[in-house]
Amino acid sequence: MTRLQIEKTKSSPEIDFNPKTHIHLIKGESYPENTQQFYDPILDWINSYLAEGYDGDIVFNIELIYFNSSSSKILLDIFDMLDDTKNKKITVNWVHDEDDEAMEEYGEEFEEDIENIKFNITTK
Amino acid sequence: MLSQSLYSYKSALDREGIIFTFCGPISHDIVEGVGITLKSQLAESDVKQTTAMKVFAVFIEQVQNVINYSQERTDFDSDMGMGIIVVGEYEDKHFIVGGNKIRNSKVPVLEQNLRELVAMDKDELKVFYKQRRKSNTSEDSKGAGIGFIEMARKASEPLEFSFEKIDDDYSFFSIEADI
Repeated sequence: MTRLQIEKTKSSPEIDFNPKTHIHLIKGESYPENTQQFYDPILDWINSYLAEGYDGDIVFNIELIYFNSSSSKILLDIFDMLDDTKNKKITVNWVHDEDDEAMEEYGEEFEEDIENIKFNITTK
Repeated sequence: MLSQSLYSYKSALDREGIIFTFCGPISHDIVEGVGITLKSQLAESDVKQTTAMKVFAVFIEQVQNVINYSQERTDFDSDMGMGIIVVGEYEDKHFIVGGNKIRNSKVPVLEQNLRELVAMDKDELKVFYKQRRKSNTSEDSKGAGIGFIEMARKASEPLEFSFEKIDDDYSFFSIEADI
């Protein structure tokens, strides 16, 4: 697996998926012109990565300050993919600014649908 | 000619509390550029940060709707949609209004969907949002098909909308969210 790094733009987040450290990051704002097109390689990478079946701790840090409704659907797809592995060693950290209640609530709404992996809602 | 009346046009916009308006072909560059300008403009004003983020979020959904769904385009497969976006402030309320041409054949379903949305309270909207987010998108939806639900959740009043028939093929659709 090679590391997946995508630089942030005004409307798309920074991606840094690292198969060596197994700590992965989605950070910034997400309202790309074509959401599916932007996220397709990211979803493909996660699929291949999960198929390798690493048995240590895996962390996904999600540090978004804004995402639009179509990005929200993709995030749910990502969490579903992770949740479907039923791998208790996968942790999603949903990181929001301390005073950003909206982001905290979005995190809680994702958490409600997750059953098999760890989902932490934390502040920076 | 317009130079003679531009001031009165601008004054009319000011009287309506309009902070920003754009009419014409809307591209993703405009979404980014105006989005960032709007965000910093709201940050400099004394608007609460949570309100500013709601206005920004609804603005993004509105402009992306025009880009994705306007039937008036500069070119058949253009990435730009023709439409109008208005952001304003009136008596401590922000309003974000979007409008574009749609096919008459799309009106009944859209109208029915929006009628259902405006009848929902915040809890029902949350359940509906999560349900729609889980289901597959409909085939003519380029986004997640949940943009209007997102707007309704952010708005402090039920969404307002209207359809004005232009001719046998098209209507003008407009939708307003107040925050």
